[in-house]
Amino acid sequence: MVKLDFIPHDQKTIQQMLDVIGLKSIQDLFHDIPKDLILEKLDLGAGISESDLFNELNEISKKNKIYNSSFLGAGCYYHYIPSLVDFIISRSEFYTSYTPYQAEASQGFLQAIYEYQTIITKLTKMDVANASMYDGSTALAEAALMATRITRKNKILMIEGIHPEYVEVVKTYCWGQNINYEIIELESLDSKLDEEYAAIIIQSPNFFGDIEDLKVIVNAVKNKYPKCLVIQVMTDPTCLGILSPPGELDIDIFVAEGQPFGISPSFGGPGLGILATKKEYLRKIPGRLVGKTKELNGEKEGFILTLQAREQHIRREKASSNICTNQALCSLAALIYLLCMGRTGLKDLAYQNIQKANYTKKKLLNIPGYKILNNKPTYNEFLLSCPDLDSLIKNCEELNLLPPLKISKYFTHMINVALVCITEMNSRKSIDLFLQAAKNSTSEEK
Amino acid sequence: MKPQTPLIFTKQNNLASNNYIPQLDIEETDDIDAILPRKYRRDDLDLPNIPEVDIVRHYVELSKINYGVDTGIYPLGSCTMKYNPKVNELISRLPHYSQLHPLQENNQGALKIIFELSKCLSEITGMEGFTLQPAAGAHGELTGLLIMKKYFEYNKIVKKKIIVPDSAHGTNPASAKMAGFSIIELSSNESGEVPLDQLEFAMKDKDVAGIMLTNPNTLGVFDRNIKEITKIVHNNGGLCYYDGANLNPMLGICRPKDMGFDIVHLNLHKTFATPHGGGGPGSGPVGVVEKLIPYLPEPYLITDDKKIVCREKSKISIGRVKAFWGNFGVLVKAYAYILSLGAEGLKKVGQCAVLNANYLRIRLQEKYHLPYNRICQHEFILSDKNLPNGITTEDIAKRILDYGVYTPTIYFPLIVNGAMMFEPTETESKDSLDAYTDILLKIYEEAAKNPELLKNAPHNTPVGRLDAVTAARNPILHD
Amino acid sequence: MDYKFPKELKYTETHEWVLLEDEVATVGITDYAQHQLGDIVYVEMPEIGMIFERESIAGEIESVKAVGEIIMPLSGEIMKTNSKIIDNPELVNSSPFEEGWIMKIKISHKDEIENLISVEEYIKVVESEEA
Repeated sequence: MVKLDFIPHDQKTIQQMLDVIGLKSIQDLFHDIPKDLILEKLDLGAGISESDLFNELNEISKKNKIYNSSFLGAGCYYHYIPSLVDFIISRSEFYTSYTPYQAEASQGFLQAIYEYQTIITKLTKMDVANASMYDGSTALAEAALMATRITRKNKILMIEGIHPEYVEVVKTYCWGQNINYEIIELESLDSKLDEEYAAIIIQSPNFFGDIEDLKVIVNAVKNKYPKCLVIQVMTDPTCLGILSPPGELDIDIFVAEGQPFGISPSFGGPGLGILATKKEYLRKIPGRLVGKTKELNGEKEGFILTLQAREQHIRREKASSNICTNQALCSLAALIYLLCMGRTGLKDLAYQNIQKANYTKKKLLNIPGYKILNNKPTYNEFLLSCPDLDSLIKNCEELNLLPPLKISKYFTHMINVALVCITEMNSRKSIDLFLQAAKNSTSEEK
Repeated sequence: MKPQTPLIFTKQNNLASNNYIPQLDIEETDDIDAILPRKYRRDDLDLPNIPEVDIVRHYVELSKINYGVDTGIYPLGSCTMKYNPKVNELISRLPHYSQLHPLQENNQGALKIIFELSKCLSEITGMEGFTLQPAAGAHGELTGLLIMKKYFEYNKIVKKKIIVPDSAHGTNPASAKMAGFSIIELSSNESGEVPLDQLEFAMKDKDVAGIMLTNPNTLGVFDRNIKEITKIVHNNGGLCYYDGANLNPMLGICRPKDMGFDIVHLNLHKTFATPHGGGGPGSGPVGVVEKLIPYLPEPYLITDDKKIVCREKSKISIGRVKAFWGNFGVLVKAYAYILSLGAEGLKKVGQCAVLNANYLRIRLQEKYHLPYNRICQHEFILSDKNLPNGITTEDIAKRILDYGVYTPTIYFPLIVNGAMMFEPTETESKDSLDAYTDILLKIYEEAAKNPELLKNAPHNTPVGRLDAVTAARNPILHD
Repeated sequence: MDYKFPKELKYTETHEWVLLEDEVATVGITDYAQHQLGDIVYVEMPEIGMIFERESIAGEIESVKAVGEIIMPLSGEIMKTNSKIIDNPELVNSSPFEEGWIMKIKISHKDEIENLISVEEYIKVVESEEA
């Protein structure tokens, strides 16, 4: 029976090849392996055909619920993905290629990465962007390490409001390199900061939805400690369609989760780590960089991986980072997304997110028992204090709406508080249903 | 030669405005300043507006000047560029996988994929617990080394060094450093293996946490003393880490656990046929022996036979290495691959990966220098020693591109001067290998009779050899 | 291979050369070192006023394919660095002992000069590395 193993040899061919090599049997290929290490057989099933495979995986998938509309964000967002994105990343010349070490045969992807780097610098107004990190959380951790390399200082100050899972990742990476960290309230920044800190990390819009006044905060930091770096992190960078870009706020290192740019949620991965910085920190940047250059013996321009001397395959233990495979295909998706949306589209998108979130907030305030806890402006997420959050969640499920996040998942003392996310994908109808669910969870029947 | 493709930004058309998102269907507030004061808003947004048809044509054009496994043979050593099954692409795009939110409650299907894949990887490697959180091999290395670090810390033993052979992939020492270790490098012997006496000596240093190895190694050689190696490390209180980048030839043949390893990372985008994506996304699961399970990152999945749930948080876990669960979209593809092959299929992969590599080696070694003349596993090294007319490995590689195929990995591992590392993988047919061999042999003739052709290669690619020096001296990283 | 080995200089086993003038040592990397690195693309030099101990890492030299560390041959304070090699790092390749000098140190521990090796000893170091 023909198996789905993609190995184009039959028994006859295998024997021919063994003859050429000068061996009698396949087992001879492994004669260097001690006999007692050779396996009898793996305890896995027999192989299955493509159609059986599809059916089986399809069935497993049905054990997951998908919803008509989502009110959940918290680091992973539902935005509309133009069909062009998948069309282009499905071209197998792109997705079956590898890191473009042989530049001359990889000009297609190299140019695409260069264009990605360019569009990120345009969007963020930072001087330089790298080719990608794994995701927002690891990009943030690497930014913290980068700051310690630049400043030669060993402490990081995190401002409350960073995504809790991101904080956990930063803690793990810091522990790996004996870097100290502290997490403080924004109000304590002035009193807590001293010249021992390599950088402060601030998320804006933050985990609770608040947009921070970064201009004021960064000025305050730099006036007192000009050598202290400021790292801004963002989990939904579609807000850059309307919010001030980090390049105009004197941010030293900008990191973001790029999943909202054309990448399906996919249960949280793969995502895209966006990292951009000032030109004076160029040689301390982790990850791949694509540069433009000319032919050695000609006039044509071409693209090439550059500044590789920072990377693991050359620097080894002195490398800026160990990153090798990154998220190239996801950066291509983000590039296509941003090109499709364009200036007009991204502005509209950000505007819609704010308008719809605002609309929902206003309507919620008309329902007794509900309070919006944010004191600062918000983008597409806000904190909602509920009379009975469990009931709201139950009602959402029944109406096939993906309920907002129970904040107590991360902050156990914040009971009955939800993190609600509204994007352009929430139709008026779905918002109305949500409001209905909210109303119904205040009634006395329970 | 075709004219170059200008950057996409030259296709700007300020009149264009593609129309993708839903129409706004709620009453907007007129007073935007009230909800988002002016000082928070940007003045301009310098993104181009480009008509969809121009975007399509541009990227179709770029795809045509990019080489992938679907274009032809891609024998990059230690990358395992095998065929990526298309059905796995479809499966990962099923809405009930692609539309899932990582924080949603109704996720038993996704958790089942993670749980079952972990079980399969355990069976394949012999390891007893897995995390699928790391996003790539190097990320897995960091995770595994942090587990080592935590193990010693928790047991109140100070260990600051890791042994790595000089043939190791660059990510090994880089990851060790990120985990706070320094490196002791061992020089491989003439057989390309770890010298046991050097290892014994190195392990006498009480500061050594253990060893990081890949087996078969980057020379394509299976270290015959592997059991002794892991024994020496264990006898001296150390742990053994297995870099799974070279697992392909071992599938169904031999297991890292049986070799004596305590921690393993795998590269799903290599061994398990998920696409390389031009440089990612990948996935780097980490497996450990039972005593190290408590150190694995949270969340860690267990089952009570009715549901798959997260274990109670372990006080000695290393913590998270990434937000959410891992590169789930990649995990689905790897799981599908394992199911479609099954036990027999996986074993055939191991066998044919080695068969193909040796078949490719056997004719090439007649002309090219083969530093390690023995049966190789999934990959082998040639070098530019004794090439005529001062031709270098780089010259050979650039000339290979002229024939419309891809090169081996070059100048790695560092211990062989002018190394060329070939890994054809099991999905190449005999004809494909014969054609590739013919090309390499023809190039050898050219090196002897017409060396200028190689020194100025490539000639047939969209651009000729590029100036890497200026690119590094004066980097231009965006327009 | 024919490398230059100026006789009037002192050397280190890590391929730095040292020109001693009373309290001041001028430091660079040798012809052999620049050849091993290949085309140099960037030199990261220490800041003026910084004080380093002997054998610590004062800076780095990057080429396309490698990075070398600049190791302090003697303890001291950085007095001057060669601004010409910031924009023209290729000077380190073309003129490693003259125009491609890297830094000038104010020597703090004169007895450390004994640790420097002579040109003959350095030639032996290079020969054994090449073997």
